[in-house]
Amino acid sequence: MQVTVKLVASFRLKWFKEATQDYPHGVEILDIVNEIGIPVNELGIVLINGHHASLKDKLQDGDTVSLMPLIGGG
Amino acid sequence: MIILGEKSKNDPSAVLYHRCTIDLDTQTITFEDLPCRNLEDVMGGFGRSFQVLAERKIENAYCRENPLIVNTGLLTGTSVMTGLRAYFSAYSPLKQSGKGLPAAMWSAGSGNFGNKLKWTGIDEVIFENCSRSPVYAVLREGELGPLVELIPADHLLGLSGHEKIMSLQKDYSNAHFAAIGPAGENYQSVYMGAVILSTDNQLKSGEPKNRFAGRGGMGSMMGYKNLLAIVAQSSDKPGKITPAMRDVNHDVLKNGGSARFQPVSQGGGGGTWANIEVLQAFHAVPMNNFRPKGNDDVEQQFRDHVEKDFEVVSEGCYRCGIRCHNNLFNRNPDGSRGPLAAKYDFEPLILFGSNLGLYDAAQTCELIHLCDQLGMDAISLGATLSYVLDYNERHPEKPLFNGATFGQFDAIRALMEETGRGEREEIGKGVKRLSEQLGETSYAVHVKGLELPAYLPETNPGYIFAIAGGHMSMGTHMLLAKEGKCSVEEWVQVITTQGLLQVGYDMLGLCKFVGVGMGHDLIVRATREATGLEFTSAEIVAAVRRAYLRGLALELRQGFEDAEYTLPAQIIDSPNPNVTLPNFITAEFIAQLKLRVWSVFLPEMEGLLPDLD
Ligand code: SF4
Repeated sequence: MQVTVKLVASFRLKWFKEATQDYPHGVEILDIVNEIGIPVNELGIVLINGHHASLKDKLQDGDTVSLMPLIGGG
Repeated sequence: MIILGEKSKNDPSAVLYHRCTIDLDTQTITFEDLPCRNLEDVMGGFGRSFQVLAERKIENAYCRENPLIVNTGLLTGTSVMTGLRAYFSAYSPLKQSGKGLPAAMWSAGSGNFGNKLKWTGIDEVIFENCSRSPVYAVLREGELGPLVELIPADHLLGLSGHEKIMSLQKDYSNAHFAAIGPAGENYQSVYMGAVILSTDNQLKSGEPKNRFAGRGGMGSMMGYKNLLAIVAQSSDKPGKITPAMRDVNHDVLKNGGSARFQPVSQGGGGGTWANIEVLQAFHAVPMNNFRPKGNDDVEQQFRDHVEKDFEVVSEGCYRCGIRCHNNLFNRNPDGSRGPLAAKYDFEPLILFGSNLGLYDAAQTCELIHLCDQLGMDAISLGATLSYVLDYNERHPEKPLFNGATFGQFDAIRALMEETGRGEREEIGKGVKRLSEQLGETSYAVHVKGLELPAYLPETNPGYIFAIAGGHMSMGTHMLLAKEGKCSVEEWVQVITTQGLLQVGYDMLGLCKFVGVGMGHDLIVRATREATGLEFTSAEIVAAVRRAYLRGLALELRQGFEDAEYTLPAQIIDSPNPNVTLPNFITAEFIAQLKLRVWSVFLPEMEGLLPDLD
């Protein structure tokens, strides 16, 4: 099944901006995060199709996953 | 600070702090060592200064009885990383209740002034009354204790904060400085004057790389008191770096929450600048007076776009490895680094960029630089200017001032300059007063008279319960984007627990960019290693909570009414469909939230303020 992965801010600069790839059915967001090599402790926001999600959520064909670093203000 | 006896490592009354009171009118200077009343006094910053303010009944910020309190935190001047903060507290000329009474405020800044102040041996300076002519104060360490002098400062009048500092530096070696700019001098028409703090980088390079204590008009208070600058002169005494202290600092850098603020080249997130990109993913970056348009215009302010035209250099304060400052330098024709353009952090770059309809980094830099030179708070000025532009767009037939509207750089620049020079008091007194005068308050972006930072009001109902800067005194401004929380229960929970604890950093003397909660073991270890004091996490959390609630109680005493605890009406009357985060704030939501938060806070607030009658 096809999943689009979008990376934001420092993740985009370090890896890529957007990529659509084939993944096995039942793939979890965590599997994709590990495959890219993003340290989990640097992950701030995880979205599936624009909605907040968790790393253990499973993906469906056609989903878009957005991964963003930790943020903070000041 | 003096700690009496070995046995009293967790007894606040065994800790003495050194206060210097300077009567600017009579030029009388007194010193005293005072025992701490509680852990808030020990921790310092606003935790102590608000207890002083609470002892006074002040009905007008510009009155002789309103003190300006300059102090430090317990860990300022120690070897704990980021322990550099200085605090400026007073009843604010800017933040005022509907009844017309000024609110107690504090503002914090880094740089190296706080360290130097602490190292003179003074923990707190109270400036009473007003000087009859312009002066600057020199606080220095002496052989038998701190020494203080007031010196005529007519030669500094009219200079920018940076220029004042560079001028004073010629006469005071081994010193750091707090100064005001023209805006603070024009305190009668500018209520948002900032205090400008020197940094080592500034003094070495001669470039205006300052830090600012901007919120609430503490620079205007200095102007009112005819106090143009403060010099803190002492040798450096940062304290020993023991193995345990090395561990603390290692944890600040590696195991806390500071990675996001560290330079990209160091593997970090690149400071607050990265927030733009994350918020843009939800179309939640303020544009045109906090009304995102749902387009990609702000991408022009993304770091890699800006880097095409400018060199971005990560720099930091004295001995701080977080190095959160993003300084933009022009490029010379041969590609080498040219002069400094501006510091480019999230708040100023949004509030002087997309929120004014400007997307050219060079223009934003010029406005940031001008605001800094004039010495105004970027948040208050930015939010008031964006209101003016919005008003003018809504009233093309009868615009205000020079008719400036979104994207009109030259006209906006002119308004900024005129405001800082004291020629546009309608802007200089902030958005609440201006919008009430014009009878159009719904799109004036402030809460309780203090302009909001560059995080949309519809994303943060926690602003309602911030007691000073909207995002600096209630740590909830990113919660919706981070976690998607939008139920009343979740917001009550966060406001009444970890959200309010953010203010603990403004007691201890550390930067919030350390990024751990007040209950974290790192805070206990840092305190123990730096001072020998042994307070538990629970004691620290309880003290921070009391200090916050005392601030809230002070708001109520200064006349803030229930109706003022709210968000700009526009977000409820006309929600912005372009923001893709959940739209959850309704009048009913706010009513429920307030009911439940007050039911937690009000019983705890009893007895926190002295009886003044
Ligand atoms: S975190 Fe940033 S502002 Fe704070 S001390 Fe370090 S460099 Fe300075």
